[in-house]
Amino acid sequence: MKISLEWIKEYVGTRLSLSSLIDRLDMIGLVVDDWQEKDGDIILDIETHANRPDTLGHLGVARELAAGLGLPLKEKDWPLVELEQETSDFIDIQILDRDLCHRYSGIVVRDIQVKTSPEWLRKKIESMGLNPLNNVVDVTNYVLFSTAHPIHAFDLAKISGQKIIIRRAHKDEIFKTLEGETIGLSPEMLVIADAKKPVALAGVMGGSDTAVSETTRDVFIESAWFDPVSVRKTSKETGIQTDASYRFERGADLSMCPQAALMAASLLSQLGGKSTREVYDVFPKPPKNKTIILRHNRITELLGIEVDQEFVQDTLPKLGFQLEPRQEGSWQVTIPFFRVDIEREADLIEEIARFYGYDKIPSHFPPLCVPEPPRKEKREKINKIRQLLFHQSFDEVINFSFADPEKEAVFLKQRPEIAIKNPISQKASYLRTSLLGGLLENIAWNKNRGAEGLNIFEIGNIYFWDDSKAVEELFIGMATTGFIGQSYWEGKDEEAGYFCLKGTCESIMAHLRYEPFSFQEAKHDYFETGFSLALVYKGEKVGILGLLKSSLLDSFSLKDAVWAAELNLASLFSKQSKPFEYKPVIKFPSVSRDVSFLVKRNVSYQDIKEAVEKLSVAYLERFDLYDRYSGPTISGNKVSLSLRFIFRHPKKTLLAKEVDSLQQRIIKHLKSRFNIQLRKGGQIDKRVRKN
Amino acid sequence: MKAFKNNVTKCRREFDKSVLQIKSEKSLQELRNHYLSRKRGQLTLLFEDLMALKPEQRPIAGQMVNELKKDIQEKLQSLKKTFKTEEEVVERTDFTLPGKVRYWGAAHPVHLFQAEIENIFISMGYSIEEGPEIETDYYNFGALNFPPHHPARDDWDTLYLKDELLLRTHTSPVQIRVMEKQKPPIKIVIPGKVYRKETPDPTHLPMFYQLEGLVVDKGITFAHLKGTLEYFLKTLFSEKIKMRFRPGFFPFTEPSAEVDIGCTVCEGKDEECRVCGGSGWIEILGSGMVDPQVFKNVNIDPEEYTGFAFGLGIDRTAMFAYQISDMRFFYENDLRFIRQFLLK
Ligand SMILES: [Zn+2]
Repeated sequence: MKISLEWIKEYVGTRLSLSSLIDRLDMIGLVVDDWQEKDGDIILDIETHANRPDTLGHLGVARELAAGLGLPLKEKDWPLVELEQETSDFIDIQILDRDLCHRYSGIVVRDIQVKTSPEWLRKKIESMGLNPLNNVVDVTNYVLFSTAHPIHAFDLAKISGQKIIIRRAHKDEIFKTLEGETIGLSPEMLVIADAKKPVALAGVMGGSDTAVSETTRDVFIESAWFDPVSVRKTSKETGIQTDASYRFERGADLSMCPQAALMAASLLSQLGGKSTREVYDVFPKPPKNKTIILRHNRITELLGIEVDQEFVQDTLPKLGFQLEPRQEGSWQVTIPFFRVDIEREADLIEEIARFYGYDKIPSHFPPLCVPEPPRKEKREKINKIRQLLFHQSFDEVINFSFADPEKEAVFLKQRPEIAIKNPISQKASYLRTSLLGGLLENIAWNKNRGAEGLNIFEIGNIYFWDDSKAVEELFIGMATTGFIGQSYWEGKDEEAGYFCLKGTCESIMAHLRYEPFSFQEAKHDYFETGFSLALVYKGEKVGILGLLKSSLLDSFSLKDAVWAAELNLASLFSKQSKPFEYKPVIKFPSVSRDVSFLVKRNVSYQDIKEAVEKLSVAYLERFDLYDRYSGPTISGNKVSLSLRFIFRHPKKTLLAKEVDSLQQRIIKHLKSRFNIQLRKGGQIDKRVRKN
Repeated sequence: MKAFKNNVTKCRREFDKSVLQIKSEKSLQELRNHYLSRKRGQLTLLFEDLMALKPEQRPIAGQMVNELKKDIQEKLQSLKKTFKTEEEVVERTDFTLPGKVRYWGAAHPVHLFQAEIENIFISMGYSIEEGPEIETDYYNFGALNFPPHHPARDDWDTLYLKDELLLRTHTSPVQIRVMEKQKPPIKIVIPGKVYRKETPDPTHLPMFYQLEGLVVDKGITFAHLKGTLEYFLKTLFSEKIKMRFRPGFFPFTEPSAEVDIGCTVCEGKDEECRVCGGSGWIEILGSGMVDPQVFKNVNIDPEEYTGFAFGLGIDRTAMFAYQISDMRFFYENDLRFIRQFLLK
């Protein structure tokens, strides 16, 4: 809200320096966002609050400032040059829809010559950032910016039938706005009509047919109260927002109606017009002012400091409240109509705090109370995964939750996607159903800026419809491409790839004790055929990983291969994990046995692993694949695998022959299951790949 | 015996130290003589000391000296290989070559800063709560005392999904969800993503992070709100930070307060300051006493309990803390931006 300092000074005689004034306004909650000099005046840009329509004019701001500075508020008289006639001699006012119009006041000013406003008025209008139009329109704007109460001037001669009817619009009725646009009306909209048709959209805008023009001689001034919700709906529906609708939708001052009309008539009288004798005021059901009981001790309870009773009795009246003492330590406070925000005792306590000064309220630490904090297992797990990934050279990213329907079509197809009704742009018109789109975007961004490889992850929600329920589910997405880290002078550069990514998935599962888990070959729309796996835990698919389809990479303009994985953390976290148990370190030495064998290529390592695990061989502590070879020395469609088995007894040193028999059991089983063929000696030298 | 043992240890340490300073064949020879010379070498001296011990102590002592001797000989032998004569300096590793630095993944700066803020509150006994990002109109607005069709809603530009569903515009709905199921005392902070219908520019984003706080108990006052937030801001920024509380407006708090901190870039002296716009102040927190209507909406008696709430933008605060000029940097995910924060 623009506020002219010169204008304010008509109400408050302050000589404070600009910076002190701004400071004072800030501290009572009228924040000065900016200010500028204009024709010898200072124009402040004040941030007003949606619940304080009274501060949308100079009077309201001045009232606050006067109270804040302890100065009186000066209000002017508005003398009239009067005609003999009554307003009702010229016009008849009827409110048909009293629920939407509680009060309608009007006055007629005759013999006005419509022309350029005098200098002082032009300057006022210009200071508000508007172009002066003519004396009548400028006067209505002057009243609005003074009192925050919007008024409207009609050309009296153009009101047909000398009738003003406040009613809801008829079906299919049309209205021509001041700006000449014709709009269709609906029966929820309140209009001001004459005997024939709507002449104004109540509280929003006047019509062109009754607009004041150079030929106008007599004007009818409207000053009314319209229902805020009705004005807001009409304004939203028609897309017309005006200084008037902005104020009415926040709540106009019911008591101001006749006064604002009078003020306009007085100004027009000064400019040569003659007004009717008094305001025609239709006010069918004058409500009582709200009253609120204010308890002195409640102020202390809420603010944490005892404010003097005198301060309360002194401050509230300056803001327009009336106080009546009740029994000791409490008052009955009458709320003026312009304070639409004050409804409860707490609202009054805020008024007291504002003028007492937030800076004078002490700072205390709350009494120590520590409700028992619930354990946040989900957060702990997320943090563990993050730490794990940092150690595995993954950088963390955070992407917007939106998805581009064009680029991310493949992802959006996977689940019933959620559209945003009023998106910021077409490219962000859906909620993401996968984290991978964001990761691909990040890879493209960084590659375009010189990055050779990326290893990134994001933990966040994806969103989709489950029937009519909107679901958000926590996922982790990982993507890897190119080399990890910088080139090193010794050895080969570390290339990101499938097995790095799979290892990361395995370590997430292992470190969160989601074991045993397994991988299964599974086709998936995101991945190249034959290059994708599903991660399975407790019989449910909890993740996928593989080589992203090249068509998908194309939509992000990526050339190099990208491996990606996505795990459903929500589903994973909902499942039981293995409990953590400490196991004493066994003192007895282990015995290690290496076994190398040939096996058909179509036997997967996972099959072999599961077969050995199912065997539950006693004292088998662990086993690992330490070599795999399929070079020219291996015949046929076979591959050579070398496993290392570690045996250990908890209570004694195992004897060689004991281990022999355990090893034989494994070999026998693998022979019968997979027809493995032991290589001579059963061992292989990894360096030469020979026995 | 103890003294003897000490001598052995001392001798070993001195040798280890000297070995590091060997730079030539010549000094290697000198070192050898110093320790192994049959006449006056350090080890010969130790063997002499050994003879002065009681006979039953000698075997153990002897073993110690022998071990030391063996170690010294081995080390000297291995060094000899590297230091042939100066003419025949063979290829040897250049130890000034760069060391191998493993690539350590970086946390996203918003998460780093979020943890920093959370930890301050955790140390004050707060616990952390979370809630859904897709909310209903009731939780996002109604329960928080936004009347239907009130212009106050315009201050929170909302992204709508379907029917009553929307993307939460603040973390405040979680206040309601917690109070509905938990009786006071309540002492929580709520971090999370929030959404606004804003086209991205240097200071606005359609998605950002907020952290909300809520304390409800008997006897909680505005003074407690001030004390808490002053402590928080001093811990987060510095003991010397300037701050002020001024009246504000939020439908769900009454009285409401906005908290500004003094601009540390210009200290209020630069009219053109990019950070504070010349006012010397930066708006950092919104706060207030929980509105009695909000308590009524969750069946808490506002006569019995009072409380305060506050909220701040995590990214916005980080921007100020690190002098980041554009909020969009956080979500471009340029690794040159993200990885800087490894040094934090
Ligand atoms: Zn500054």
